[in-house]
Amino acid sequence: MTLPTPSAAASLEVTDEIGSIPDSSSNPKGSESRSPGRLAWKRFKRDRTGVISAYIVIFFFAISICAPLIAKLYGKNPYEQYGQEKDGLLNDFAFPVKPNGGIDSNFWFGIEPQLGRDVFTFLLYGIRTSLMIATAATLLTTVVGVVIGITAGYLGGRTDYFVGRVIDILLSFPSTLFFIAFMPVVYGLFIPFSDEVPTWLRATSLILVLSAFGWASIARLLRGQVLGLREREFVEAAKVTGASSRRIVFKELLPNLWTPILIQSTLMLPAYVTAEAGLAFLGVGIKDPTPDWGVMIQRGAGFYADDITFMIFPGVSMVIFVLAFNLLGDSVRDALDPKSKR
Amino acid sequence: MSFSRRNFLIATGVAAGASTVLSACSSGNAGGSGSNKAPSVDKAAAATIAVGTKADSTGPAPEVEGAVKGGTIYTLDQIDCDHLDPAQLYSSYEGAVSVPFLRGLTGYKVDAKGKVTLVGDLATDAGTMTDGGKTWAFTLKDNVKWQDGADVTIEDVRWTFERLFAKFVTQGPRYPQSWLIGGDKYKGPYEGKHLDSIEISGNTVTFRLKEGHSDFNFMLAMRGFSLVPKKHDTKEKYDKQPFSCGPYKIESRSIGKSMTLVRNTHWVADTDPIRNAYPDKFEMQFGFELQASTDRYIADAGNDQYTVSMFNEVAPTRMQQVLGNATLKKRVLTQVDTTCYYYAINTKRVPDVKVRQALNYAWPSKQAQQIRGGSSSSAIATTIISPLTPGHQDFDLYGKKTKPTGDPEKAKALLKEAGKVGQKVVIAFQQSDTAVKTAVAIKTALTKAGFDVVTKQVDKTSFYSQIGQLDNEYDLFAAGWGPDWPAGYAVIQPCFDSSQIADGGVNWPQLRNTGVDKAIAAATVEADPKKAAKMWGDLDRQIMELAAVVPDYNPIRNWMYGSKIGGIQYDAGNTCIAMTKLYRKA
Repeated sequence: MTLPTPSAAASLEVTDEIGSIPDSSSNPKGSESRSPGRLAWKRFKRDRTGVISAYIVIFFFAISICAPLIAKLYGKNPYEQYGQEKDGLLNDFAFPVKPNGGIDSNFWFGIEPQLGRDVFTFLLYGIRTSLMIATAATLLTTVVGVVIGITAGYLGGRTDYFVGRVIDILLSFPSTLFFIAFMPVVYGLFIPFSDEVPTWLRATSLILVLSAFGWASIARLLRGQVLGLREREFVEAAKVTGASSRRIVFKELLPNLWTPILIQSTLMLPAYVTAEAGLAFLGVGIKDPTPDWGVMIQRGAGFYADDITFMIFPGVSMVIFVLAFNLLGDSVRDALDPKSKR
Repeated sequence: MSFSRRNFLIATGVAAGASTVLSACSSGNAGGSGSNKAPSVDKAAAATIAVGTKADSTGPAPEVEGAVKGGTIYTLDQIDCDHLDPAQLYSSYEGAVSVPFLRGLTGYKVDAKGKVTLVGDLATDAGTMTDGGKTWAFTLKDNVKWQDGADVTIEDVRWTFERLFAKFVTQGPRYPQSWLIGGDKYKGPYEGKHLDSIEISGNTVTFRLKEGHSDFNFMLAMRGFSLVPKKHDTKEKYDKQPFSCGPYKIESRSIGKSMTLVRNTHWVADTDPIRNAYPDKFEMQFGFELQASTDRYIADAGNDQYTVSMFNEVAPTRMQQVLGNATLKKRVLTQVDTTCYYYAINTKRVPDVKVRQALNYAWPSKQAQQIRGGSSSSAIATTIISPLTPGHQDFDLYGKKTKPTGDPEKAKALLKEAGKVGQKVVIAFQQSDTAVKTAVAIKTALTKAGFDVVTKQVDKTSFYSQIGQLDNEYDLFAAGWGPDWPAGYAVIQPCFDSSQIADGGVNWPQLRNTGVDKAIAAATVEADPKKAAKMWGDLDRQIMELAAVVPDYNPIRNWMYGSKIGGIQYDAGNTCIAMTKLYRKA
């Protein structure tokens, strides 16, 4: 597992063209009256992979938001150990009695060996936890990265130098190792020994730490963009007319940077989902009994020989989600910046 | 791992434990009838270990049929030994590992049929008792040598027992400290004083006890009473690398990772009735989870063919795969054990007996059993004395057999009665994959009953050292206790007598109850073994009424090993695989 450093090189090409998209001749048909946003949307709709991926991603978000509702309709929850409370579900070795991991009309995705929980609701809630953490971390990373990147690029000089070195350090830091070593210490600082570390603290620390190591790449990228943009005529013009730095950053520069920001963050989210799962797998992220995608995959890995069904559901669903989201990110980039497509 | 060990020779239906062959098909079907016939703890008969004669105590050890000398044998285990200084050594795993290099006055001999006898190891026989068990004499064998070639002397014997009284000794068994005359005032030999109740003359040592103990020689067979050379005693530092008088010596040790045992050239086979010492070398490797070791045994590749585990059993997640496959099952040694694993309740932190009873009622015994791999891994325990130990009475005060998944309503009612709904309990586990899952099941069940549960995973190597501290911060801990020798005394007295409450002691519940103390005193002096057994059984019930512990399970061990390991035998004396009987098949 690595923390996200999405392919910066690909998006670097993006920027110079952005300012000129309105009078771009790349799409002669729509050049007269359509805004760049509409153009991009049109291009995106034509991209079948992108649309399917978008549906898949929306589906995942929808089920994770509606998880409690679905669980209620389905009549089970992810905490109850059904397999052990009802006879005839787990055999003497604590494996599901029925074939294919115990799938039947009651347990759509089967039941967990040993602990006997319902796989379907556990997976739903696990996706929910993972997506919540990944989304929050992505938002935070983007905001921090954008602010620092643009500031450094625009101000230049000493600020730029200083921020540049901080970014260097962060990018070269073994963040996963740091996380494994450091998290117990953090918990120890905030929570007295005899208390359980609450799930909200685990989630918050995960979000904070993922963001703390994640903003550097997006900031560096934006700094580069801004360095190019700030010498352009329209910025000069704004300066001459007496615009404040703040106005220049937010009104002149930022609108020109939405494309790389959007692309970066859509690529970052799936990376965070896998990073979070990885940390949970290593035992430093979210902890059982809180359902989590990564925890589930870790459990499944223990049973692959005798009950592969239990590993297939979380594993395959994660592959589908991450793949779809990555393809979606690619499509978004293609739509916003058709020139990067070969 | 379980503390301690001396127990009966256990007659089990091991061979009869053929499980239905379950075929796991590629579709991921984990199904199967699950009608596995595991050896049953309840039905296993208990047989006592006989005391051997002088002839039995004379070396060399009986040859293992087909054994070949030479080569290296590897071990694959989860944990390293916390202690190797005999005075500090108590857990059965440490005991098992120490057999090749530590020797005591007495020990357990395993013959070709697996029958175990108590014999003299460094002593010429299993001891001479006089005065109704108040005086015990042992004579040291000739020609026994330390790893540097120096003779083992009777001075060393006296030193070994005197140093048990030193201040730095906090972990090992404490029987001599309370049994020997004058033991309560003695402070150890380092200030130059000897303990008068240990007399030496010529090659003979005589112990004088306060009360008669006819099982003193069994007690001495505990690995913790192995000899320590006076000349090389480095006090606290001795724990890292003890001096050997056995067939092997420690060549190198990297704590938590590995330990290498090589031949001790000064060892004379004729003086040792217990150890065969076929391989030239043992390479012990630590830090492998059960699943990792089981997978390596299943693959059976390279050096893993010459590998055994002293601690690691078949992982619960692989139980079905291994026991359900006739070929793999051949490489498993299944053995019922006298240990009872229980969650000791810290009575100092949980003084209300109703709360403790509520914990017992709410306990998810069956869930935990399933997580351990089902009924082929363990039997649900309802008493402290195992069914294999004399004195066991069959009772079930908290309905663990009728409601194996727990009775949250009853527990909740009790909590309400005590006014303690929402009581916080901090539970310490011995960290492992299985413990993490068990923690989930326990938390779910106890939360249902109205407890506020905090689970803590504690490093396995130092677990017992940590919970042995009187001011620890846990309410419950996942401990285990096997009798040090086959008697109710060895189960109850060390763990529940208030005189045993001490830092590093094993009265983990810190139970201080005058009724229990009196009953223990009465049962200790009872001369008739039958009556005594009944009294220990009654005590078991008395302690369970006080709910000082939550009995969890009696283990059924499943040790797997490589295909080219020969001489796998169970040492019922030390409750482990007899390490010095192993050989490497050509």
